[in-house]
Parts: sequence; C-alpha cells; structure tokens
Amino acid sequence: MVRLSNVSHAFGDETVVRNLSLSIDPGEVVAIIGPSGVGKTTVLRFLALFLEPDEGTVTLDGQDVWSLSEDERLKLRRRIGMVFQEASLFDATVERNVEYGLRVRESWSDRLRDELWSVLGSNGTPEAVTEALELVGLSDKLGQEARSLSGGEAQRVSFARALAYEPNYLLLDEPTSDLDPRNTALIEEAIREARDRGIGIGIATHDMHQAERIADRVAVLLGEGVAEVGPAERVFENPTDERTAKFVSGELVY
Amino acid sequence: MPLEPVAQLLPAVVDLPFREGYVRSIIFVSLYVSVTAVTLSTLFSLPIAFVMGFTDFRGKQFVKSVINTGMGFPSVVVGLVVLFAVSNQGPLGALELIFTTEAMIMSQFVLATPPITAVSLAAITGVSDNVRDAAHVLGGTRLDVALVVVKEARYGIATAVLAGFGRAISEVGSVLIVGGNIVSSSGISKTRTLTTAIQLEARQGQYDTAMVLGAVLVALVLTVNAIVVRLGDEGVMQ
Repeated sequence: MVRLSNVSHAFGDETVVRNLSLSIDPGEVVAIIGPSGVGKTTVLRFLALFLEPDEGTVTLDGQDVWSLSEDERLKLRRRIGMVFQEASLFDATVERNVEYGLRVRESWSDRLRDELWSVLGSNGTPEAVTEALELVGLSDKLGQEARSLSGGEAQRVSFARALAYEPNYLLLDEPTSDLDPRNTALIEEAIREARDRGIGIGIATHDMHQAERIADRVAVLLGEGVAEVGPAERVFENPTDERTAKFVSGELVY
Repeated sequence: MPLEPVAQLLPAVVDLPFREGYVRSIIFVSLYVSVTAVTLSTLFSLPIAFVMGFTDFRGKQFVKSVINTGMGFPSVVVGLVVLFAVSNQGPLGALELIFTTEAMIMSQFVLATPPITAVSLAAITGVSDNVRDAAHVLGGTRLDVALVVVKEARYGIATAVLAGFGRAISEVGSVLIVGGNIVSSSGISKTRTLTTAIQLEARQGQYDTAMVLGAVLVALVLTVNAIVVRLGDEGVMQ
C-alpha cells in the first residue's frame, strides 16, 4: 500500500495541501477528483515518491520513503509508474520509449550491450514492450517515431511506457483530458486491465463521469485537503460532506 | 562545331593565378586551426554547459552574463590579449608560440568557447521539464535523466559546435595578430589562413586569387550554415 499521512505542502507562500491523508491498495483504482488547481497533481507526485511533502509521511508497504537514502528510495520509486497530462515522449521510436523503464533497471554492462545490438540492428523487442503496446492497441506502431504520433496515440504510448516495467502502482494525471472519446475509452479499458493485474492505480481527473466509470474509490479534493473519500458509488450518490454534495451536483466549490 | 573559342578560354581555367600548393596549404592551415580550436573548445564548453544546465549554484547568473558577453567580444582584442600572453614578455613567452598555429588555435579557442557554451546551455535548458520528469518517474537515476536531456538536446548541441566552427573559420582579426600571416620561402602557408590570405591578396591587387580564396571560404561557411539550418529544422520538429 502507498499511503500519505497528514501531508502538508506549500509552494512559496501558497499552501496547496494541508493535513491530507490518502492511500492506494494494490488492485484498486482510486480517483482523485476536484476542481482545477486544487492540488490533484501535487498529491499524485507525493504518491509517485516524486515530490517530498513539507510535512507528514509517505510510506510504501510500511517504509517511510523520505527517511531512506536516495538509493533505497530509488528502489521503491521503481515500483511506481506515473503518466503525465502531456504524453512527454522522448524523441525516439515508440519501442525505445516503451522500453526505457526496462533499460534503466538494467546494469550498465547490459545496457551497453543492448545499445550495441540495437546499433547493429539485431536487438529483439522485449516481450514486456510488445505486451504493453498490445494492451493499448498500438503494437503496430513499434518502429514509428514518437513525434509522428497523434495526441491520443502518444498518450497511449505514454501509458504503455509506464506499464512495461510492471509497476505495483500507477499514477495517472488527467490522462484523457485532451483525448477524443475513442482514445479515452481505450485508455479506460487499459486502466481496468492494469487493475485486474493487481496494479494499484491513482487517477487525477476533473471528469466525474470518468471517475464513476472506472474508480473503486473516490477522493474528493476541495480546498487544501480531502473533503471526502469512499467507494465511488457512495460518494456520488450519498456524499456525507456538504461541499462534496455541492461539487458532485455541479456547483463550483472552492 | 568550332572549338577555338572554348580552347581560348581554357588557359584561364587551367593556369590558375597562383600555385596550387599555396592555396592547398592555406586551406589546410585554416581547417587545422579551426577544427583543432573548436574540438578543444567543445571539450571545454560542454562540461560547463552541462554543469550549468543541471545544477544550481551561487553566481550562476554572473557566469551566464560572462558567457553572453564573450559572444560579442571583439576578435582583435582577443588577438591582442593572446599576443601579449605568448609574447616574450608574456606569461607563456617561454613556450615560443608567437606567430605559430598554436597561438592561432589559442585565440580561436577563446572566440569559439562562448558561442558553443551559450548555445549548448540554451539547448539543454530548453528541453521540456516534462521530459526530465518522465525520465525520473520511469525510474531513471540523476545520470539517466541527464543522458535523456543531452539526447533530446543533441541537435542544439551540434548546432552550437557548428556555430563555433563558423565563427572560427571566418575570423580574421585575431589570427592576423597572433599568427602573423606567414608563408614560407617555398610559398607554402605557415600561419596564413583563408581570411588573412584574402585580406593580403586584395591589398596587393591580386583580386583573382582573393576571389578564388573567397569562394572556397564562402563554400565552407555555407556548408556549415546549411548543416546548422538543417539541424535547427530537426530540433524544431521535435
């Protein structure tokens, strides 16, 4: 389980998150919903062990992440994947992008050997890369330059890139906000598939319908903390928090 | 078909207004000095650009200002400073480098370093934070992230090196001062470059020779600039 306990954080003078607690278990999808600018991305970055909160603790399977050495933390960090709102692909082929997470986990000697084989053109595609691309329906794009992909395809490759090294947890930051319905449906299907494989998923979204469709639990972020967290059906149909009730009914709440 | 008119023109083409070895040696000296200076400058500039691109330290803005100032530094002043350094009274006087290609390399090194450093730094810092973050969250170490950034900035870095070469090969002031524009008694260039030769030939009224040397220089600079533009397009396409 990846858990945030009483986490607070400020950027300059502006407090973004105050006293927030949240956890994600393996094999569940937790949707973090809330209006734009409320700190959803910041919370995901805490969960990805990418950003250290000013206060509070972040634990992965009971280990206090930010009390560890950088090397120890790297080992934990490598059990987590994250997909940003923008695809952020490298200027390389789809295959090179998707295998990146696998390559950085290899020893330097193996990496040099792979690079050499790659230059000689006789490097086979890792099975994990093929599987990840199949999951997002892009196995035919293996050799294509990433910069020539459409926005939807690029985001799906970005998703495959995070899945290829089989993380235990996956954080998705508004992964479908710029996508058409077809690509959105493909990403959502891939999310369900990843969950069924036992991956714990946190997804930040301002699309409440999407949260309803794919989330097991929903955390509603309003103001500086979690207003309410619970099973998706219950939060949407019988919210206990007054601000949550207003938010899910479409009223602006800040 | 009457061939006489063509035959009459041939001597003008075949009998060049200078000895072939003279021009060849000038091209060789120009390329030797510029390529060596730019290679050394690249080895010196890139680590500076990497350190500045990947770390924060006190005085970073000041160092940036110095580099940017260096980009517009007058080449004759650089030549003057290098001349002083390698002259008998200067700190490097014992090395007897005055009027040698080594002294010319020194001055071109000083001239090429600021543009190579500044353009490389701009290329590195221009890589999107999203790409850096992606490498990080995918499990990359600091070194992995740095390697990704360098790879993304490769077109800009190549452009920087070529820009440095362009400045070095077309430079005249400092190499004239520190090199002395010397040709051996057998007519082979010792420290004469394309630019200093053009200046001399034009001054002596040898316009045909100056024009041929000018054409060679323009061809070289055009080639380099064409590559720079091409790489710039590649970078924009990213």
